[in-house]
Amino acid sequence: MDLVRDCLDKQLEDGNKRRMGRVDGIILELEPDRPPRVAYIELGVKTLMDRMSTRLGNATARLFKRFNVDPEPYRIPWGKLHVGLNKVTADVEAEKTPALEWELWLRKKVIGRIPGA
Amino acid sequence: MSKQLIHVQLLLGEKVFALNGQPIGRLEDIRTEKDRGHFYVSEFLVGSYAMFERLAALKMGRMLLGVFGAKKNEGYRIRWDQIDLSDPHHPRLLCEVDELLPLKREQYPS
Amino acid sequence: MKKIVEIALGIVTSVGGFLEIGSITTAAQAGADFSFQLIWAIVLGGICIIFLVEQAGRFAAVSGRTLPDAIRERFGSNYFALLYLVLGLVSLLVLAAEIGGVCIALELATGIGFQWWAVPAALLIWLVIWKGTFGVIEKGVSMLGLVTLCLVVGAIVINPPWSQVVKGALPSLPQHDATHYWFVAVSILGATISPYLYFFYSSGAIEDEWNEGYVGINRVIATGGMTFGSVISIAVLILAAMIFAPQGMKMDHYTQLPQLLTPVFGYWGFWLIVASVGIACLGAAMEITLEIAYLTAQGFGWNWSENQHPSAEARFSAVYTITIILGALLTVTGIDPLKLTIFSMALTAASLPVSIVPFLFLMNDYSYVRVYRNSWFSNAVVIVVITLAFVLAAVAIPLQIFGGG
Repeated sequence: MDLVRDCLDKQLEDGNKRRMGRVDGIILELEPDRPPRVAYIELGVKTLMDRMSTRLGNATARLFKRFNVDPEPYRIPWGKLHVGLNKVTADVEAEKTPALEWELWLRKKVIGRIPGA
Repeated sequence: MSKQLIHVQLLLGEKVFALNGQPIGRLEDIRTEKDRGHFYVSEFLVGSYAMFERLAALKMGRMLLGVFGAKKNEGYRIRWDQIDLSDPHHPRLLCEVDELLPLKREQYPS
Repeated sequence: MKKIVEIALGIVTSVGGFLEIGSITTAAQAGADFSFQLIWAIVLGGICIIFLVEQAGRFAAVSGRTLPDAIRERFGSNYFALLYLVLGLVSLLVLAAEIGGVCIALELATGIGFQWWAVPAALLIWLVIWKGTFGVIEKGVSMLGLVTLCLVVGAIVINPPWSQVVKGALPSLPQHDATHYWFVAVSILGATISPYLYFFYSSGAIEDEWNEGYVGINRVIATGGMTFGSVISIAVLILAAMIFAPQGMKMDHYTQLPQLLTPVFGYWGFWLIVASVGIACLGAAMEITLEIAYLTAQGFGWNWSENQHPSAEARFSAVYTITIILGALLTVTGIDPLKLTIFSMALTAASLPVSIVPFLFLMNDYSYVRVYRNSWFSNAVVIVVITLAFVLAAVAIPLQIFGGG
């Protein structure tokens, strides 16, 4: 499996086929004298900003902290993932993870309060 | 001993340098193999061919490169133990370029 | 029978997004300033958009993925960020122009200034998207859009010199005002080859649950719909050429729009043009709003669908709500909708390469399209369209400055 071609930027779904974001980053663990091990995938705005530029990523983190939002990306251990064709499935429940924090907040505090939602 | 963590997405596109300091290409993909339930890196793919393969445009890419007079071998396969990633912004070979395997068409199953 | 109905509906809905304030304005301007000479630009744009829309539909039907999905997956987040920035900005300006178009129609109908209609128009657009399903938006508004056929009837009734109309379908060099001629040509191409059209179409195919069985239907709908839309645009050009050009009148204010049909249909001509502009722009505004929301949600991997309750996809709903507010704000400021339209069409032309280049890769990607890959002919057409897109990108802004008149 090629990490960039088959995994990075692919749609991430939970066990119930609910969309929960995209694979914004992949983390390798390096140990001396051993091949690097694929350890986690990462989701988060800061991860995306870091890909454009480290400065942008750091600025994003500062902005998040100013509003008391945790800037750290959400990591899923590789063992919980299954890489399919143009899609990655995680053995988690999306709504119980930080991946849908904003979605749930918006639903509860904003969208859900508008009539007809 | 704490393990060093490397972000694949930040390695993408970084120039890989030979022992003499010359760049040999950009890192375009990372090949892995499964072993006892874990995925381990087997090779780092460097060069234009690897990029075109990632875009599923290998045929088109080879044709384009040919039109612009590029060399036939436009990439390398670097084994995991042939590269030093201690500085992810400056990946370096641990061997001579001649020891690397070239990227070939048949190495990309569609 | 069911397939025929499906195809007919599909063609009508495809026209819905095609004819909007941009295509109406640029065609009217072309007719007023250069008589029938620029029909070729609409024909060229029409051919290009047929291929792009067909490929977008085929891609979605076969792969089950939309264009933004695939662009992010194949080209990575940085390229997607560039696409998002460019397309988002351009689409927002076009949306503001469309809301402006609805407001113009309402001003013409009531006499109340267009800025005052910005909020009600935006609210209407938002309400339909909020409460309606994809089918209601796609088919309902598009059926209403059939009123634009009055423009075709008008163009026939006015009895233009058909030999000149046919001659105009072939490219020709300008006889006067060369810079302005090419600017109008570029604007027409920007109005016709609109990225929101093929992006929305690919998302629509997923909303309608198209599969491989729809490949043939898609071809008919894309060809029929875009041809139909082009014919209506040509009809607008013909009307302007017959009514404005002989009097040496320029099409430079939206209050002139009713003059396209009043000489042909009298009193009813006024109401027909008001209804045509209003409904066409309303439909286009909804499509563009949804396109921006789809682009955002698909690029970031959120839940999205116009067929779900807003609370089930809160981020998607929030994006289209904010989009409509931003679009309406521009109209509220009183920016001349016509000038905004012309500017946004030129900008659309300038932004085309970013959204068209991926077609060449995605339509040949076996993992997505499998045996439905592009033929050599389709690839050749895409390469021609990409080349045209780069030319347009290079000349659009300079022509806007020197030939925007």
